[in-house]
Amino acid sequence: MPTDTKRVRGPEVSQSPVLFGCRPAAVLPSHGPRADGRQRDQADVRPVFVRCGLVSQANGSAYMEAGSTKLMCCVYGPRETERKDETDMKCGRLTTDMRLAPFSCPVRGSWIQGTQDKDLSLMLYESLQPAVCLQKYPRSQIEVSVMVLENSGSVLAHAVTCASLALADAGIEMYDLVLGCSLCQDAGSYVVDPTYAEETSCGSGGGLTVAFLPSLNQISGLQSDGEMSEETLTAGVRTCIEGCYKLYPVIQQALIQALRRAAPPPSES
Amino acid sequence: MATVQVSEAEKVYILHGIRDDLRVDGRGCEDYRHMEIETDVVSNTDGSAKVTLGHTAVLVGIKAEIGKPRPMVPNEGYLEFFVDCSANATPEFEGRGGEELGTELSNTLYRVFNNKHSLDLRSLCISPGEHCWVLYVDVLLLQCDGNLYDAMSVAIKAALFNTKIPRVNISSDDEGGKEIELSDDPFDCMRLDVENVPCIVTLCKVGHRHVVDATLQEKACSVASLLISVTHKGAVTCARKVGGGSLDPESVFEMTEAGKRVGKALHAPLMALLRQEESLGMKRHKVGFLG
Repeated sequence: MPTDTKRVRGPEVSQSPVLFGCRPAAVLPSHGPRADGRQRDQADVRPVFVRCGLVSQANGSAYMEAGSTKLMCCVYGPRETERKDETDMKCGRLTTDMRLAPFSCPVRGSWIQGTQDKDLSLMLYESLQPAVCLQKYPRSQIEVSVMVLENSGSVLAHAVTCASLALADAGIEMYDLVLGCSLCQDAGSYVVDPTYAEETSCGSGGGLTVAFLPSLNQISGLQSDGEMSEETLTAGVRTCIEGCYKLYPVIQQALIQALRRAAPPPSES
Repeated sequence: MATVQVSEAEKVYILHGIRDDLRVDGRGCEDYRHMEIETDVVSNTDGSAKVTLGHTAVLVGIKAEIGKPRPMVPNEGYLEFFVDCSANATPEFEGRGGEELGTELSNTLYRVFNNKHSLDLRSLCISPGEHCWVLYVDVLLLQCDGNLYDAMSVAIKAALFNTKIPRVNISSDDEGGKEIELSDDPFDCMRLDVENVPCIVTLCKVGHRHVVDATLQEKACSVASLLISVTHKGAVTCARKVGGGSLDPESVFEMTEAGKRVGKALHAPLMALLRQEESLGMKRHKVGFLG
């Protein structure tokens, strides 16, 4: 291809300006109330909006909003396994697929599933699997797919909640709902259900995500990174559990509402 | 992962043993198996170590290459992890079979090192914004007999201790261009401070108790395990639940406490051993792979 020699060509490598634009966000206040008015060191979760049954083709689906984190989940199945060699005669197979939409983060991602997405899918799988009665679905598979439309922090925690709601909507037998909650720890204090800015600014502290089965009182998923002492970790897990209990009535309400809509009670007349 | 078939009777035997703090191979609940560590086993690497833990064998090689620092942190180098599950370990890993486990392991390693104190990344910087050392940590699983995480983390710590990065001189010429010059002397090298590098402790919940360093048989009896990475000071840099089951919050707290205790106890003898091996210098009798 002939090149235009008169033209001033840009540099060969370039970086997104967003990378440098994010910098001021690193100086969020480390004490006092948070940017959105919530309290520190308390299980102060963002208000959530949840609704079941948005996707008509799927057996079950759910949409969830927490602050501006938006995600949707679809459940397909139980149906026959596609690959015959992986058919399990005794119990069903659960597959999870979690993706962040390319436009969900400040920096554009790619459509191809990266290692981060794979890691999230695995964490989602490990959190959901203990709750699903897979032995009731021999020789079949249940597919759970989560799409994050807008990432505004605590994606994994909300994905767990949303996925369990979609599973319940699909009528899959479960021992319990799975609720997720996460927190970020930074210099002596912690913030529950952090936003994207809070997540990225907590450089020195750590993050923690807990998946919890509320009525069985069991932890089905736990993941932490960054440096924290054992006491902070224990306290963090306790706070996350508290946060999950705050979410519980909202999720129950959404399920009841979905059921009412699917089978309206007989009219009084 | 590599799994074994365990019959119901065997399971009961293992479970009852663990209840009475006596495991099939005679260990207590918080004891490791016999561990062998040898550093500097592969001459083509900048640092290497081989760890055998029972029948689990892991080989770690570290290569240092000059790369470009990440734009967000211009004054730091970085680490890249890659875990290869070769078909040597089990036939299940043939082809792409080991890929899933490999990604899982390497993602966990990234998380374990995702903090400021594990390794001083600033010492890997050559010139801010332009050049830095990139450490490629390649882990090779040679044999699988349970507890891959712990063996892997010990091997990485040993290999990082052994890593010798050549010293560089930066000279700038008249036109302002910079030139990097590597030292010719193989003994003129930079060492890493591995004091704060964490070790992973995996605790398997078997029955009502939890065991450290589970064999494949014991792993088959457990529903879920908790892995935590602990530094020598007892700080936790990563915690994760692995496996299909769920855990009681109380037992999670118990397991973190036990993990911290075991992890702290693991560091001091490991460092002493590495220093002792180092002090032997060239006189050291190398064992290699046939020992």
